[in-house]
Amino acid sequence: MQEATFLILTALADGTQHGYGIITEVAQISDGRVRLRAGTLYTALDRLRADGLVAVDGEEVVEGRLRRYYRLTPHGTEVLAAEAARLHANAAAALTRLRPGLAGGVA
Amino acid sequence: MSEQAALERAYRRILAWYPRSFRADSEDEILTVLLAAAAQGQTRVGLAEAWDLIRGAVRMRLWPAAPRPRTVRAAVRLMLAGAAAELAALITVIASLGSVRAAVAAHDTAAAHAVMVHQIFDMAAIPVAVGIWLWLAWANGKGEDWARLLSVACFGLLTLAVLGMMSLHAATYAPAGLIAAATVWVIGLASVALIFTPAACRYYRPQLTPQ
Repeated sequence: MQEATFLILTALADGTQHGYGIITEVAQISDGRVRLRAGTLYTALDRLRADGLVAVDGEEVVEGRLRRYYRLTPHGTEVLAAEAARLHANAAAALTRLRPGLAGGVA
Repeated sequence: MSEQAALERAYRRILAWYPRSFRADSEDEILTVLLAAAAQGQTRVGLAEAWDLIRGAVRMRLWPAAPRPRTVRAAVRLMLAGAAAELAALITVIASLGSVRAAVAAHDTAAAHAVMVHQIFDMAAIPVAVGIWLWLAWANGKGEDWARLLSVACFGLLTLAVLGMMSLHAATYAPAGLIAAATVWVIGLASVALIFTPAACRYYRPQLTPQ
């Protein structure tokens, strides 16, 4: 899973978001490191919707502009949980192997 | 406000690159996001933003998000292999031009002329065939129903071409060319069989609304 996809799913993990909301959430989650652009966001959303990971959760018009809300599907929640567990396990393994070196100082 | 209208027009020009079905579904929404992210007083699309949008459009056209069944993916790969095999056949024909003619002339002078005509026909027709394979791979990948029927028609023509080649005693005079043609024929048969499997049939059925 690409990082942008992972972050989009994470942005939707605790509730619905509209397009611009996802962009700001992703910036916040990644400490401002990842600034999603609209093309990247909508190409990813198109695919996530087709794969059944994300679904549309209503629309509204604000100041004459269409806003559409997205949510994770149960399948999307499962996939995100599995990916998060995988990344967590990898990170834990890396930290475990690094620890002796970090604790021992200069080799 | 007119600044925003100018920016909106500029964005719509770029969004025209996206597939029609995607635009019908999402153009207004994506514009909301683009305009929300735009700087105050911005009238032109930034280079990075334009690049990101065009890249998205190209990706969507080349790899549509509709989940492609495994059989269709395999058929598309086989069709690309078909194009490669045709190219190999073309190279074989060109490389063996002289030796085939010499072999025919030594045994059967009457057939020499027919073989030469056939070789010239091959050199003209094979590049066209390569183009058709690539086109069918692209259209079948998109799930176009006409592409499926056209694939069957092309396979019929291919069968006739291979039979025609055998009647010209190609097995005796140009075995490499006949092997290449047979390979292409088997690839054609397999790809046509794959796009008529039940899973593929569901994929080809016209989808009126994406979700």
